[in-house]
Amino acid sequence: MLDSLFNIDCGYLEGLVRGFRNGILRQTDYLNLVQCETLDDLKLHLQSTDYGNFLANEPSPLQVSVIDDKLREKLVIEFQHLRNHAVEPLATFMDYITYGYMIDNIVLLITGALHQRPISELMPKCHPLGTFDQIEAINVANTSVELYNAVLVDTPLAEFFGECVSEQDLDELNIEIIRNTLYKAYLESFYNYCKGLGGTTADVMCPILAFEADRRAFIITVNSFGTELTKEDRAKLYPTCGRLYPDGLAALARADDPENVKQVAEFYTEYRALFEGAGNNPGEKTLEDKFFEYEVKLNVNAFMQQFHCGVFYSYLRLKEQECRNVVWIAECIAQKHRAKIDNYIPIL
Amino acid sequence: MSGDKINIFPSRGAQTQIKARLAGAVKGHSLLKKKAEALQMRFRMILAKIVETKTLMGEVMKDAAFSLAEAKFASGADFNQSVLQNVTKARLKIRSRMDNVAGTNLPVFESFEDGVDTYELTGLSRGGQQMGKLKANFKRAIELLIELAGLQASFITLDIVVKTTNRRVNAIEHVIIPKYERTLAYIISELDELEREEFYRLKKIQEKKKQARDKADKIKEKLKAEGLLKELALDETPNLIDEHQDEDLLF
Repeated sequence: MLDSLFNIDCGYLEGLVRGFRNGILRQTDYLNLVQCETLDDLKLHLQSTDYGNFLANEPSPLQVSVIDDKLREKLVIEFQHLRNHAVEPLATFMDYITYGYMIDNIVLLITGALHQRPISELMPKCHPLGTFDQIEAINVANTSVELYNAVLVDTPLAEFFGECVSEQDLDELNIEIIRNTLYKAYLESFYNYCKGLGGTTADVMCPILAFEADRRAFIITVNSFGTELTKEDRAKLYPTCGRLYPDGLAALARADDPENVKQVAEFYTEYRALFEGAGNNPGEKTLEDKFFEYEVKLNVNAFMQQFHCGVFYSYLRLKEQECRNVVWIAECIAQKHRAKIDNYIPIL
Repeated sequence: MSGDKINIFPSRGAQTQIKARLAGAVKGHSLLKKKAEALQMRFRMILAKIVETKTLMGEVMKDAAFSLAEAKFASGADFNQSVLQNVTKARLKIRSRMDNVAGTNLPVFESFEDGVDTYELTGLSRGGQQMGKLKANFKRAIELLIELAGLQASFITLDIVVKTTNRRVNAIEHVIIPKYERTLAYIISELDELEREEFYRLKKIQEKKKQARDKADKIKEKLKAEGLLKELALDETPNLIDEHQDEDLLF
């Protein structure tokens, strides 16, 4: 769409998001945080950032889980404010973003329901961004077939279920496989939607989502060595919207050990660079760390362009990474294990 | 406490019996003392090992907690809940068996794995490696805990047994053996006294006999001095060949 048309509907929100983005912690902030001796110091330093007094009402002694919850709460409030003011097509776009969290919540509830845990116990453990109206109704269903027919069909995730997971599968398959299958369907659907939107949004979002797809393919492959996951099953979990499709994915499906995976990555320049420095020895960055860094870079670059929906997605991801960073630093401080405290992923 | 002895009739047989019992008690005492020493040594060994294991435990738990933080960082999502909800039964179980050490039964715990790792695929798409490290760390922590539990159980049992054995050793040393010794002394003293009494009795009888014989001798002397012939005749032993006028025997 034309840039000016975008501004009519979403200009205010884009301005808001850019304001939020400027409040993301910088390297100097991280340097200050790393030098804190106690969690109260950390709280003090966070007060001078955009976070302000979000921990003001917490009783001391402060705990890491409390910090984690409060960080997430702040992010959720911001996102929901943005979502509430959004109109089409931004509204659907932001809904798509929440489907990822919905998948996690549903998987959690299914597991809980299968083991007869009361729904009231499980509700507080769900991610707030992933709630939907019928979420409480999951408890009503006793078997997974009922669950599927009665509840999931009405949710926005119905299409993801329909494509890949049938009713019988819900019972037999390991819950992780269900989660990954759903996520694959979700990624591909999101990718197609962004492509459909066209313009700058597609330019920005498609590479990000393609990278996400490829990253999942790599990590699933590496993590499945030594488990009972067969190669065919593994191949069914690879999202096809990335650059690895179709040759890279076929090669990955055949891979037997990490060396093969590295060879597959050799064919793609960006991925080769990522695999280059990674290793499992202490002192080296792990492969996942490198993936995180690359993702952060892509997300930061999204802000370079104006008048597209991608900034909302990037902002959410960057804020999440920041939450993880702060929690990591807090844990290192609380457990007095400062050796790896610099392993956070720097954003700006 | 003192002055107590076994009430038994003092006799030679009783004396040998008590002597035998005393020898038995002394032997038992030395054997028990050896057992107590062996147990004490084992006790001290276990104590040292417990201290060592506890310090190691502290470090291992610290590592495990840190690897949990690492896994949370790498996986992004909250896998805590999905793991907690999926728990059905324990995978690491303990078998307990009794080990015989110097006569006492000490419990020993062995761990064994029952069942497959249901969390193999957790973190498949994010943070799988950290998850693996986390599982290994906590498994090590559990195994250390099991070892510590076994050590502490044997510590407590050994403590009780050592105390009992020591009590028994002391009892034998300070109560039983002195009792036997006192009884033995009493028997010996009684036997001596009986002997002395016998001896005295014998002596007295001899005296009396002597007196009686002296008296009889005196009377004989007197009679001798007065009527010799009668005495002589009475004294002389009759001769068969002599011709005496024997009185006729009338039936």
